[in-house]
Amino acid sequence: RRKISSKKLQSRNQTPTSPNPHATTMTSFLSATAAVRSRNGEKCLPIHNSEGGATISVSFDGQNLAIGTGKYPTASYHDDVGIDHGITQAPWERRFSPYEFNGGTTLAISGKDYAVVAADTRLSSGYEILSRNISKLHPLTEKCVLGSAGCKTDVDQLRSVLDIKMKVYAHNHRKPMATPSVAQMLGNTLYYKRFFPYYAFNVLAGVDSEGKGAVYSYDAIGSFERTPFSASGSGQSFLIPLMDNVISHKNRLDEKRDLEAEEVVEIVKDAFITAGERDIYTGDAVEIMIIRSDGIQKELFQLKAD
Amino acid sequence: LKDDAKKSPVRTSQNAPTPFQILYFKYATAISTIPSSTSILTTALILTMSLSLQPGGSSTRAPPTGTLSAPGNAVTTRPITTGTSVLGIKYRDGVMLAADTLCSYGSLAKYKNARRLLPVNSRTLIGGSGEYSDLQAIDDLLRRNALEDRCTADSLYEEENDAEDCAKEVWSYLRAVMYNRRSKMNPLWNDIVVAGFRQNDDGSTSEEPFLGIVDKIGTAYEDDILATGFGGYIALPLMREKYRPDMEEGEARALLEDSLRILFYRDCRALNRVQIAKVTRDGGVLVSDPYELDTYWDFKGFVTNKGEMGTDGGW
Repeated sequence: RRKISSKKLQSRNQTPTSPNPHATTMTSFLSATAAVRSRNGEKCLPIHNSEGGATISVSFDGQNLAIGTGKYPTASYHDDVGIDHGITQAPWERRFSPYEFNGGTTLAISGKDYAVVAADTRLSSGYEILSRNISKLHPLTEKCVLGSAGCKTDVDQLRSVLDIKMKVYAHNHRKPMATPSVAQMLGNTLYYKRFFPYYAFNVLAGVDSEGKGAVYSYDAIGSFERTPFSASGSGQSFLIPLMDNVISHKNRLDEKRDLEAEEVVEIVKDAFITAGERDIYTGDAVEIMIIRSDGIQKELFQLKAD
Repeated sequence: LKDDAKKSPVRTSQNAPTPFQILYFKYATAISTIPSSTSILTTALILTMSLSLQPGGSSTRAPPTGTLSAPGNAVTTRPITTGTSVLGIKYRDGVMLAADTLCSYGSLAKYKNARRLLPVNSRTLIGGSGEYSDLQAIDDLLRRNALEDRCTADSLYEEENDAEDCAKEVWSYLRAVMYNRRSKMNPLWNDIVVAGFRQNDDGSTSEEPFLGIVDKIGTAYEDDILATGFGGYIALPLMREKYRPDMEEGEARALLEDSLRILFYRDCRALNRVQIAKVTRDGGVLVSDPYELDTYWDFKGFVTNKGEMGTDGGW
């Protein structure tokens, strides 16, 4: 997908000749490019963290395109700051952002006949903790649970939309939706809002129609894939490498074996302790669910509150 | 380029897509139609032209006036007249809210007798921080809904039907309102605390108190103790320390008053003239008149230069 030519503009790298600082009109090509460049670096929603600089700009206000007045933060192009949203930069007053990063980490692991999904229960805003016991897991059917981190208001809206769609499906088909179908529907629902995305980093965990564990990972605009495990949210960088070693058995010399659900739960607890140690947005408690064909078991495990 | 801008179909105001959708559509189509050899100049110009959305072509467009959509539809960009923290706490008999009565105009303490704790109906209370005019709009909206509920209820006697929204319903409704506004990039710039009781499945008021919060982008959650704004940093840790689930009214009130006092010491936009309000199972909603808190300014830490105090310094 062609990126908005931010790199091309940036290479020009000239300070704009700033006209009347209170003018809101485009008075020169230089101020126009500088404005576009600054807005491309400012408040962009990363499509996927590992995609380097691929971003989509979501704040469209069209005003005050003349920059360099010092009144608004002139953002420099920064590599994949992603979810900062001006918390640590630009401490002066800034424009309204429809998004806020509320933190949190989710993890899902699939097994032979079960899936384990876990998420911490902390809700944050900037450096503040808003609440210590908010659930990030949402059962969509009896065999399928959605875990979402990101912007809570978008997550709640996404859940409401999905719940309605699940109801309509059950009404029309006279049966609850199967997990792979839910996965596809979630992907489509997210892409529907491609140009004003739900800021939600989802993992979907459940058992498919054959009773095997199924885990799907998503990005914010709905590209998804069935994977053996998935982690998303602020602590994903701490969990994914650990899971690569322990679940996918990478870079190990001992024999790989199937893990029982209870063993996986212990691994998940250790993983969240690890993530909570270094990620400020992860902590307080972990809600863990084991999904099997015959139902869902829940557990709440306390973490450090710092 | 002018043709490119004119090509967009004329839309009536009724079926007009939201400015975002138009903008992204134009953005996407504009970018995709640029051949790779086009200069940066045209790219930038296309972008700038697609940013003002009035029909009629680029020649008739006034320079961007600082608004995104058609003229007359300005959006909120920043709060002007603001209230500071609101604190909320559940206690044995119900829920209590506290707030000061100051509305600041930037750094000017302009309105020192403003009411930020507002009853919505006979069993729900809201407290708002942030832009005061938006709070008044929300209050109008909720009271209009309450009036309509009363008028369309089956019986004129309140006790005979629970047509009034309980706090949890108000909170859910308010969340939808705030989300909708933020999705139009025109938020109501408030953090609203909703206090009252839950509703049982049969419609009667529950015994269980409810305390929830909705912020300007629609983040909604509930808890036993809540605070908005500065209160989240200064009062909430204190309240978390001292909170017990079955506090007496006097204890809860003392805790809130102490928190407001400390906020007055440390929050530049706070005042010591405060209001307390409560919702109880039997008594309904009660909002106190404003009164002054006593403050003590002779703390050694306030008076003595930190450097002379023998501590590590600071100011």
